[in-house]
Amino acid sequence: VNNNKNSNDNITYRSFKNKGKEPTKMRDRRIAECVELRKAHKVESIMKRRNISSVGDEEPLSPEDNTDNKQVISETIQEIVANVNGECPEKQRQGCQAARKLLSRERNPPLKEIIEAGLLTRFVEFLGRNDDPTLQFEAAWSLTNVASGTSWHTQQVVEHGAVPAFIALLASPMLNISEQAVWALGNIAGDGPSYRDGLIDCGVIPALLARLTPDAPVGYLRNLTWTLSNLCRNKNPFPRFSAVQQMLPSIIQLLHHSDKSILSDACWAISYLTDGPNERIDVVIKTGILPRLVELLGFEELTVVTPALRSIGNIVSGSDLQTQAAIDAGVLSALPQLMRHPKSSVQKEAAWAVSNIAAGPCQQIQQLITCGLLAPLVDLLRNGDFKTQREAVWAVTNYTSGGTVDQVVHLVKCGALEAILNLLQAKDTKTVLVILDAINNIFLAAEKLGEVDKLCLLVEEVGGLDRIEFLQNHENNAVYRAAQALIEKYFSEDGDDQCLTTEATDSNFVFGPSDLQKRFVF
Amino acid sequence: MELNDRNLQTLTEYLQKTLSPDPAVRRPAEKFLESVEGNQNYPILLLTVLEKSQDEVIRVCAAVTFKNYIKRNWRVVEDELNKISDPDRTAIKANIVNLMLSSPEQIQKQLSDAISIIGREDFPQKWPDLLTEMVTRFQSGDFHVINGILRTAHSLFKRYRHEFKSNELWSEIKLVLDTFAQPLTELFKATIDLCQTHATDINALKVLFSSLALISKLFYSLNFQDLPEFFEDNMETWMTNFHNLLTLDNKLLQTDDEEEAGLLELLKSQICDNAALYAQKYDEEFQPYLPRFVTAIWNLLVTTGQEVKYDLLVSNAIQFLASVCERPHYKHLFEDQNVLTSICEKVIVPNMEFRSADEEAFEDNSEEYIIRDLEGSDIDTRRRAACDLVRGLCKFFEGPVTGIFSGYVNSMLTEYAKNPGVNWKHKDAAIYLVTSLASKAQTQKHGITQANELVNLSEFFVNHILVDLKSPNVNEFPVLKADAIKYVMTFRSQLPKEQLLESVPLLVAHLQAESIVQHTYAAHALERLFTMRGANNATLITPTEMAPFTEQLLNNLFKSLAVPGSSENEYIMKAIMRSFSLLQEAIVPYIPTLIGQLTHKLLLVSKNPSKPHFNHYLFESLCLSIRITCKADPDTVDSFEEALFPVFTEILQNDVQEFVPYVFQVMSLLLEIHTSSIPSSYMALFPHLLQPALWERTGNIPPLVRLLQAYLEKGAAAIASTAADKIPGLLGVFQKLIASKANDHQGFYLLNSIVEHMPPDSITQYRKQIFILLFQRLQSSKTTKFVKSFLVFINLYCVKYGAIALQEIFDDIQPKMFGMVVEKIIIPEVQKVSGQVEKKICAVGITKILTECPALMDTEYTKLWTPLLQALIGLFELPEDDSIPDDEHFIDIEDTPGYQTAFSQLAFAGKKEHDPIGDAVSNPKILLAQSLHKLSTACPGRVPSMLSTSLPAEALQFLQGYLQAATVQLL
Repeated sequence: VNNNKNSNDNITYRSFKNKGKEPTKMRDRRIAECVELRKAHKVESIMKRRNISSVGDEEPLSPEDNTDNKQVISETIQEIVANVNGECPEKQRQGCQAARKLLSRERNPPLKEIIEAGLLTRFVEFLGRNDDPTLQFEAAWSLTNVASGTSWHTQQVVEHGAVPAFIALLASPMLNISEQAVWALGNIAGDGPSYRDGLIDCGVIPALLARLTPDAPVGYLRNLTWTLSNLCRNKNPFPRFSAVQQMLPSIIQLLHHSDKSILSDACWAISYLTDGPNERIDVVIKTGILPRLVELLGFEELTVVTPALRSIGNIVSGSDLQTQAAIDAGVLSALPQLMRHPKSSVQKEAAWAVSNIAAGPCQQIQQLITCGLLAPLVDLLRNGDFKTQREAVWAVTNYTSGGTVDQVVHLVKCGALEAILNLLQAKDTKTVLVILDAINNIFLAAEKLGEVDKLCLLVEEVGGLDRIEFLQNHENNAVYRAAQALIEKYFSEDGDDQCLTTEATDSNFVFGPSDLQKRFVF
Repeated sequence: MELNDRNLQTLTEYLQKTLSPDPAVRRPAEKFLESVEGNQNYPILLLTVLEKSQDEVIRVCAAVTFKNYIKRNWRVVEDELNKISDPDRTAIKANIVNLMLSSPEQIQKQLSDAISIIGREDFPQKWPDLLTEMVTRFQSGDFHVINGILRTAHSLFKRYRHEFKSNELWSEIKLVLDTFAQPLTELFKATIDLCQTHATDINALKVLFSSLALISKLFYSLNFQDLPEFFEDNMETWMTNFHNLLTLDNKLLQTDDEEEAGLLELLKSQICDNAALYAQKYDEEFQPYLPRFVTAIWNLLVTTGQEVKYDLLVSNAIQFLASVCERPHYKHLFEDQNVLTSICEKVIVPNMEFRSADEEAFEDNSEEYIIRDLEGSDIDTRRRAACDLVRGLCKFFEGPVTGIFSGYVNSMLTEYAKNPGVNWKHKDAAIYLVTSLASKAQTQKHGITQANELVNLSEFFVNHILVDLKSPNVNEFPVLKADAIKYVMTFRSQLPKEQLLESVPLLVAHLQAESIVQHTYAAHALERLFTMRGANNATLITPTEMAPFTEQLLNNLFKSLAVPGSSENEYIMKAIMRSFSLLQEAIVPYIPTLIGQLTHKLLLVSKNPSKPHFNHYLFESLCLSIRITCKADPDTVDSFEEALFPVFTEILQNDVQEFVPYVFQVMSLLLEIHTSSIPSSYMALFPHLLQPALWERTGNIPPLVRLLQAYLEKGAAAIASTAADKIPGLLGVFQKLIASKANDHQGFYLLNSIVEHMPPDSITQYRKQIFILLFQRLQSSKTTKFVKSFLVFINLYCVKYGAIALQEIFDDIQPKMFGMVVEKIIIPEVQKVSGQVEKKICAVGITKILTECPALMDTEYTKLWTPLLQALIGLFELPEDDSIPDDEHFIDIEDTPGYQTAFSQLAFAGKKEHDPIGDAVSNPKILLAQSLHKLSTACPGRVPSMLSTSLPAEALQFLQGYLQAATVQLL
């Protein structure tokens, strides 16, 4: 009986508090917004990388190697073609090395020219030359750098049959060759879901995991982790469950490594795996990694904190149970410090996570209060950069639509109302509307307490009334209607729809029901 | 419709006729054009006339007609006829840009609007080449053409500033950026270069600067949603040039006009907005440029004059500084004492000065001055912007800023003291500065509620404000007097009571001032002081403290209404109302005189009601006069009726719509004061109150219902005996009201009064029909509000006529109806009933159903007995269920399209809550216990057995509590 009652209460409470908005909808508002106007994000991890390191004992690049002179480059390539296509192993090695050097220039490597010179067939062939490790290595390096280009470049490498060859090379006894293969495969996996799945089909995962040994050097492990992360990356479609299950134990293991770069890429892998529907999140949670993720939130390195925070943010955008798992792992004690992080990108992600926790049931909202997240939240509303303020505003709106009256009162006392009223001047229509929604929620709470008048005064005192009134002139219909509705309902002194008709003469209404008599059923 | 000369000729003739001032010629021509606009080629004919006609007037007329045609018909609405043929659509899109660009400006504007209407529907998918066509024109070198393109682009892109982010919108913006951003940037640079080449050619400059202003607007639109990659990469170009333009001054571009903003001002204003956009949204990327902009904008402010034409620029510029200075990481730009001092001295203080434009408004346009100064409709003014900057700076620098300003205030006051006659404006600025510095939070109701603790408001009052208030010549320096009065009003919550009391007689004296602003402020200040609350929520200023000034106050208030320009002054009327309310019985001696003045005023304003607030307070004052006087002596009600009824009759006869609802409220108040029978004068009016025309106006409904309720309370017997033929009409009103979701509760008010007061015999024949109507409404559109009212009504009916009567009438309408209502309506919904009295009625009614209705004990209804009892206990013990189904949330807003607030409730005509059950039942829980006891004695054993089988334990526990409290037991 008890259980039943609770869930019933819950339904009434939701349908009322959220005014028909399903909480899940509020959580998933980071919808598939694919179109971007901005530059690609600087803090995200890189999809493809070129190997531009130079081998230790090599002399610096000659002036020709660094020129942008088309003539010179063209001549160099012709020479390479001649060498590579010849039968002399020494010349082949020389040609390959020259190509690799060209492709490793810091600026404008001639990827297209190398492809158009028809060199890829030979390079892929060389990958199989177990008798000549140097040649294998130089060819692998060249192909890695070609694959690091655009999708078209990567496509050329794949279509020349490099994938099976690289997978075979993973097992090479020469560590530098195996490492180069790891790297090349990472570039191919990073191109998108279709090559990623192609690699998985070719059995790349077991081959990679076989190299994950305790004695592997850190540099090697870094590359390996990055390639694994690219195999977890991208949606539409996600990597299939069986592949994820195969990789997860190793990724979890890597998350306990001491190297920051490995930690970073392992975290990115987790962030990709959690950036999806709840069943994807579940797979990650079941590994028991949450406490470690929370621990990583406390690291100093931005490269670790960013993906760890992204992962946590993704998890708390899941179901109430998943969110609770994150809370139980201690995420709420890590968030305040991240909300005060010097980098605004971290503040923003932290605020996003808080906004999703605030979209949960009031028990979770209570935990936000208990763990002291309201003060930093209000700080962000006041002083955060715009993107952070926008997330913080969502947090307030979610909080006020799901919170109890007492919780809402508490939030107002912490200064959130004044802060969001100030943000009504924001030059972002959605944010303004979301704030109006929050204000409306706060008024609904005040109605229940019979404190509407007091709230009206408070709103007016801090200049909010002026701003809401001003929004009645907003160009956006939804905004001006929301503003108008608030003003009419709460700030003006003082509503017809006909369903039965009443006949009227000049002097009277004619009393009596219409003849049409139906059966009444209620 | 073929494209031939004859049709062109005909079209030209009809266009000509649409310009005729004679409606007999114009209307048929307009009708004709509308009747043929569905024909193919019609728009092409219009465009041909527009292009080829020799008559300039006809060309413009064709352009306007074309634009309106596009506006009405271009959008294709699903399931509706497509009014423009596809070939016409294609032809229009193929030609319109060219046509626009080759047309003179007047026509260009119309066609540009038409393009943006078409663009809103068709761009980008159905008009893919529009952008490229536009961009190609940038190279034309013809700035007439280029400005046409820019204007069109602006009307196409400006929606990016207010629409919500969506994939669709962003894809469009991305497309625009891809084709437009680079050429726009090139055009921007080229235009700036041309400005240098043509630096001495005023005509060329004018065209070029209009281009720059338009380009800056486009920049704002394209950068609004997010920072595009292109603009991030080209920030250096744009920001460097914007910065240069801000600092640019070309003597040739300075206009002589003092009022109208020139091109240079418009451009710079837009650049300030652009900088503010970047500072707010793209902080991280914009940081390297921001300090330069702060300096440039600050210099701009320092060098810009006081003329009105600069107002928008100055207020935008100050707002920019205000928004930047309160952001923590720009704090350092302002921290330096010298910087702060300069900003205070050169930006804030000059913009707080009382300008000659203000002085003119003070004298000649007092109404507007008061609205701006008192009600804060001064969003775009310099003073407002300067105040916002002060507040922004105080966030981090309250101490230093207060210090700097104190110095200024002192020096301005010293200047004033040297020669008040000449330097009075210095004191005005000083007071304004103190006010803006001290105000941290403010409301209409309380004035300043939070003040800067560093400013000693009380001391400033004694040293500088009191002098002006006490000045024997009330008409000298009216601006300073108004300032002083406003100071008291603004800081009323901060000043000690003694200072307020000291001010009261002084304010009363200022009511006599000639200056409208001054006596209005005095009235307003007094009104505000009288609303202040002290200990125990009593008024801060008591009637006793006011006794010495009462006569003077009332005299001066009414005298000031006689000043030309103040005859319908709402502030004064409100002060009169407030004074009555404060003084209460102290005004009784003056009422005989005052009521004459008030009625006289009412008669005057009823000829042409134009000031709604004034009129409202006038009626409130009348209500107060009546209440206060009749409280002391109810018999005086006759004399009020004698004084008021002639005016009221006139208002009702002339149907002065604004006043009718007020008249009904005052009449209700008067009628309710009568203790014996209803006077015949009221009865004569009764049939008229039932006229449908009156009820059609929403504003009449609440006061008319209230008035009819008063009739029923005082004259039910009279109606039954002398106006029984009017009962169907009265019920007709009820029927009309319950048909409406918005007014159904009013219908129930009326019905409840009928059931409560009308002799039962007089309504017996209508009872069944009443219930059928209610059931019809319940069936057709059940809303929470209706159900709540319905529950209260049936329970009231049960209390009045008994449970058996209720059950019989239900089951008579339809077999088993009673059970259905109990099961589907009462039990599930009674928890929603709100209000003490309403809940009590339901409790008593349900108790009767439970204990006095044999059908519920002995028929198939028996299964409902325990659930009903449980629902009743729930009503007693559980919190109110205030949930509303999802689909009902927006009823109030969405289903009342023609909503008009014609009804203004008079606070002082208020009605006391009425409890029809009254003392007959003091505790419904005890009544339930006693009634159950009685029932159980009639059929021993049954009640306990029903309780023990199906009442939940918790409910049973509550019930036992009631039984104990009533000291009864169940048998």
